[in-house]
Amino acid sequence: MTEPASLDAARGLLREFPVVDGHNDLPWALREQVRYDLDARDVAQDQHAHLHTDIPRLRAGGVGAQYWSVYVRADLPDAVPATLEQIDCVRRLIARHPRDLHAALTAADMEEARAQGRIASLMGAEGGHSIANSLGVLRGLCGLGVRYMTLTHNDNVDWADSATDEPRAGGLTAFGREVVREMNREGMLVDLSHVAATTMRDALDTTSAPVIFSHSSARAVCDHPRNIPDDVLERLPANGGMAMVTFVPKFVLQAAVDWTAAADDNMRAHGFHPLDTTPEAMKVHRAFEETRPRPVATVATVADHLDHMREAAGVDCLGIGGDYDGTAFTPEGLDDVSGYPRLIAELMDRGWSKADLAKLTWQNAVRVLGAAEDVARDLRATRAASHATIESLDG
Amino acid sequence: MADLQDELQSLAEPGDLLDTAQTAPLAPQPPPGSPQERARALLADHPVVDGHSGLPWALRDLAWYDLQLGDSGVDTDVLRLREGRVGALLWSLRLPERIEAERAVGATLEQLDLVRSVVAAHPEGLRLARSAGQVIDARNCGRVAVVLGPAGAAALDDSLGILRVLHTLGLRVLTLAGASWAGEAGLTRFGEEVLREMNRLGVLADVSGASDATIARALALSRTPVLCTRSAARSLRAHPDNLSDALLAELGAAKGLCLVPSSPERSGPGVQDVADHLDHVRAIAGPESVGLSGHAPGAGAAPGYPHLIAELLRRGWPETDVTLLTWGNMQRVLRSADFAARAARERRKPSAARISELDPTDA
Repeated sequence: MTEPASLDAARGLLREFPVVDGHNDLPWALREQVRYDLDARDVAQDQHAHLHTDIPRLRAGGVGAQYWSVYVRADLPDAVPATLEQIDCVRRLIARHPRDLHAALTAADMEEARAQGRIASLMGAEGGHSIANSLGVLRGLCGLGVRYMTLTHNDNVDWADSATDEPRAGGLTAFGREVVREMNREGMLVDLSHVAATTMRDALDTTSAPVIFSHSSARAVCDHPRNIPDDVLERLPANGGMAMVTFVPKFVLQAAVDWTAAADDNMRAHGFHPLDTTPEAMKVHRAFEETRPRPVATVATVADHLDHMREAAGVDCLGIGGDYDGTAFTPEGLDDVSGYPRLIAELMDRGWSKADLAKLTWQNAVRVLGAAEDVARDLRATRAASHATIESLDG
Repeated sequence: MADLQDELQSLAEPGDLLDTAQTAPLAPQPPPGSPQERARALLADHPVVDGHSGLPWALRDLAWYDLQLGDSGVDTDVLRLREGRVGALLWSLRLPERIEAERAVGATLEQLDLVRSVVAAHPEGLRLARSAGQVIDARNCGRVAVVLGPAGAAALDDSLGILRVLHTLGLRVLTLAGASWAGEAGLTRFGEEVLREMNRLGVLADVSGASDATIARALALSRTPVLCTRSAARSLRAHPDNLSDALLAELGAAKGLCLVPSSPERSGPGVQDVADHLDHVRAIAGPESVGLSGHAPGAGAAPGYPHLIAELLRRGWPETDVTLLTWGNMQRVLRSADFAARAARERRKPSAARISELDPTDA
């Protein structure tokens, strides 16, 4: 693969406006691979044999802020304890690498980290199952520093429909709308990746703060339910939120969408969860790949999405959410967290200005978090914490 | 420091609390030099740290998840705390019995959220305190300091990560009972690791309700004094949470603290009964190892701690021992936990131990 000519310029831009990445599943990978034994996967060292992510490659990739996902699987008997362990993992990572990682709760913290040359470390919860239908638990997660929550993961929750499950609520239930309002009041960003389009629209109708898509691309470019329809992208400028383009090949490249459907069937046939990334599961994946070559997404595939999202939502509503360590496969050239400069170079070659790229990489994400803080400050002055229950609102 | 009640009445801002205070009938002044007057003077400077506050029980009949703020009787209770000369309290996070074990972590987060809601709704009366220093700060501002805990061991779901997260949310006391690692046989290897991690974080161990074996092991292992948040003397009253003379002596030797409750089941119904237990615990464990817990007896309309302290003075307690009982001992234990944590964090990393490794179940 030849490196694009603009790569040096891209690296220069990222030194000033580093990448804010919306979604990285390193905590889950550490849980699954080494049960959180941080000595066994020391991310200060090269871990490319095991992980997409380590500090040297984050540095090489020009990453200045990372939303670490505290995702847990929705089929656990109780997601709350597992989510707390994920939060503990992120906090231990930050404490372990004080010269590289900086705990960030606010937009001001992000700027402070950038000024110090450290990587602002934020947390996002992935899936409403992590709050177990409780606004008290939601506030607890916020108190622990979780700054966004994806309303669903791959399965519906009791109060919101997922993009990849059978429609049930038809979007958000009354309790689901109360969850969104309480997130607004807490200053926790409403993340609409993974949710059904009906849920996206209901959330946009309900929220008084900007929303995010922490890792989603454009449905008009690749017709997968995990991607964002144009009518929703077009509502982002009025909302002030942002869509953070994801790299996951099975969402961004149509041939990969089809290939993945077949590969998932194969995983299930061998008794593995399709998202399992343990060595045994990956062996099954690779055997399948030998019989049927995997279509390869590239930097250009992702850039195509960004070009379209820019048309639909405008350059003020874009960001990046790679989903590293949360996906088995990555596009060529964006193989791990060191790849972002290639995407920026590709966009430069397509005529994106430095000012626009600064918005894409850094400025939009900082603005959105700051706006959510402002909304929360106003709401807390006028409204007490909600003690509504799902029973009282959804019957 | 000014008398808490006087300071409350001098507050400029009007509020429900103030209105109630002004409409309350004036208490008759005790004669100068009487035990009552000395008790009031001592309590003004050394208010009670209440080891098992009655305050959360004001909420116990409410559906705990649909608390209606402002209509919960908390205002009345804050006033009673002040009249009872309570300067700080432990807010128990015990879970309602109908909560199943697998819901314990979420339910504990909800309890913590509830406390925060109540404290935030009463900024004139209550303030959360995360350290001994913050307890002093709250008192200097005329607020009742709220220390979060004890929570039951089930709240950890057998995870040191969850212990660390609950500490971050403010938890400062954990009861070593109600989990596989703190049973009748005492602390398991994982249980000992939990206690070491508690020492590292600054979470006090509460052994009220723990087995005798757990209590003995915790006293030996802990690098900072342990608490019994609601235990009286077993030789006077045979309640399972009460401590035998042998354990009281061990507790005293380890400079731990037995917070004697005022409950009919544990200490007996009257002021005299509670005073008998306090006499006994002071005699066996020593004046540095006795404190107060729970609603003072004979509270009813009038708060009871001043009466209890007057009784102890009548029984010949030196004033220095009374001030240790109400305020000093608990301050020492809280401060010791903070110091031990600071020292331990230099030596120890967060423990990544898991119960499946330390307590394998080969059955």
